[in-house]
Amino acid sequence: MATAAVDRRKGRHTGPGLGSAARRVRRDMTSYLMLLPFLALFTGFLVWPLINSLYLSLTTFNGVKPPRFVGLANFRRLLQDERFLHALSNTLVYVLAAVVLTSGFALALALAFRGQGWGDRVMRTIFFLPSVTSTIALFLMWRWIFAAEDYGLANTVFGWFGGDPVAWLATPSLTVPVMVLMATWSGMGYAMVIFVAGLNTIPEEYYEAARIDGATTWQQFRGITLPLLRPVTTYVVVTTMIAAFQVFEAVYIVFRQVSNVGGVLDSGLMIVPYLYDMGFTKFQLGYASAIAWALFLIIFVISLVQLRIGRAMREL
Amino acid sequence: MVVRTRPPASRTAPAAPGGTRGRLRGRRSRAGWAKAPLHLLAITMIVPFYWMVITAFKPVSEITRNPPSFVPESPTTVGYHDPRWRPDADNPGHVAGLFQRFTEVDLGFWRFAVNSVVIATVITVLALLAASLAAYVITKHDIRGRRVIFLMILGSMMIPWQATLVPNYLVVRNLGWVDSYLGYIVPAIPKAFVVFFLVQYLRSIPDDLIEAARIDGAGEWRIWWQVVMPLLRPALAAMSIFVMLNEWNNFLWPLIIVESDQMANLPVALARLNSAFTGAQHMGVIMAASLLASLPTVVFFLLFQKHFTRGIAMSGLKG
Repeated sequence: MATAAVDRRKGRHTGPGLGSAARRVRRDMTSYLMLLPFLALFTGFLVWPLINSLYLSLTTFNGVKPPRFVGLANFRRLLQDERFLHALSNTLVYVLAAVVLTSGFALALALAFRGQGWGDRVMRTIFFLPSVTSTIALFLMWRWIFAAEDYGLANTVFGWFGGDPVAWLATPSLTVPVMVLMATWSGMGYAMVIFVAGLNTIPEEYYEAARIDGATTWQQFRGITLPLLRPVTTYVVVTTMIAAFQVFEAVYIVFRQVSNVGGVLDSGLMIVPYLYDMGFTKFQLGYASAIAWALFLIIFVISLVQLRIGRAMREL
Repeated sequence: MVVRTRPPASRTAPAAPGGTRGRLRGRRSRAGWAKAPLHLLAITMIVPFYWMVITAFKPVSEITRNPPSFVPESPTTVGYHDPRWRPDADNPGHVAGLFQRFTEVDLGFWRFAVNSVVIATVITVLALLAASLAAYVITKHDIRGRRVIFLMILGSMMIPWQATLVPNYLVVRNLGWVDSYLGYIVPAIPKAFVVFFLVQYLRSIPDDLIEAARIDGAGEWRIWWQVVMPLLRPALAAMSIFVMLNEWNNFLWPLIIVESDQMANLPVALARLNSAFTGAQHMGVIMAASLLASLPTVVFFLLFQKHFTRGIAMSGLKG
């Protein structure tokens, strides 16, 4: 393979005195050898599993007996599976709310605390803290804060304003809002840091010129900051969105019930927890693979949209 | 590098001398008031952490008291070690402290911390080595198929890793790696995003240095190690933080492949602790464990803040 490659190609790096074919073959061998560790594992644990997952999604498979081919039955079942549709709509609501709140707060925080003074640095540190803290520890902490009894912190604060104790984690209508709250709380610091970096690439001269022309702060924001920040905003929105689609720990730790992973009446069931439930507690690995492919397709579409938006932006 | 470090770009910076100063001061104080709600928000960031810390040091009676105390009245370390706990006695007032549990595992609770550190470190080192080799070849070697390879790597970044959960579990099971370090580490080494990031970074580095080393007769491996790796240092630092944090917090994969007690990492150990004990009297122990599990990364972050945020910012803007 390497020999054929050498014949047809003019090596770009063939400097003076390195003309001999044998040498080039040896160098190409080295190149492939250097790629090998990554490529072998990449193929073994990413490419092949993805293909295999597509195959498994067309079968019934319990992990013990060999897979039995059933065509598109799993996907037809997905469209009629009330739990899946419920998980999907839950996820969409959660993703939308979490993305809007996280990005919005992150941008406000970045605008407020973008400076290099110690005050701003302290504030950035505080908001970034959840991003470096153990996720599971954070969720255990939230679980305790939302304890149904009146010694829970949320209920104590609620009590100050005359509210009765609320069963935060056992009330179906509160599940998604609590999850959005937790996601925003822990995600906005990370997005803020990216926004700050983006803001600092905008030349200060633009603002100076705008000020000389008498532009208000709001006009400067609308006319300079927002348009120039657009690629960064797209990046933040899309990565937050993709991460939100993959939510698992919040459901598993905070809303796990004795018998299922979805919280009270499945009120907190999302796509990945459902995938886990089907695959690793009910061992319907074929069906779980179909759920995995549904998730893949959703994220694929989002990524394509991002690419198109990105390209459109560049052409503007 | 995309992240430019520039002087503070604050709009209220006192750049103009003389006459405008008064107006600028006025604007600054207005901006200060506008920030007040965000300062309040900062308090809500701190409170949950504070709650975790004080709960970890409250005795059981104080944890379940109503109204709760905001400053522990009788701080105690029974959440870690309760001297009055006896293994045989079922005394509801005294539950086993964190370090008195997990007696079936060598090192007790520390075993999970050791697991977490070993796994995260080894994955980070191996992932960066493999990715830097691949990135070097893709950007600086003119071999056949490198475009296709890079395109595949790019494309794979769109795959949510959960999509490969089931088949990866089957692969690991077939290899006999369930419940082992190998099962943790090997599947986690290929990281498409890291290759992509390093490729972007290497593209901005001129070929001359590598060319010069080649003319001097250095082999490709030596060029990679002695020329490319040092050049990549800022990018590798950014990625190591990125990979390390992700692996430290990884939960779903370990949840699936860990069976025995001694192979759990911290997140899995915490989750098991939580599902085994749900009563309020165990909350002190759970918060003690959470605190210990959070501490290393938080301390690291406070020490190397600049690198953390720069790393995050770099990886964000390169995308």
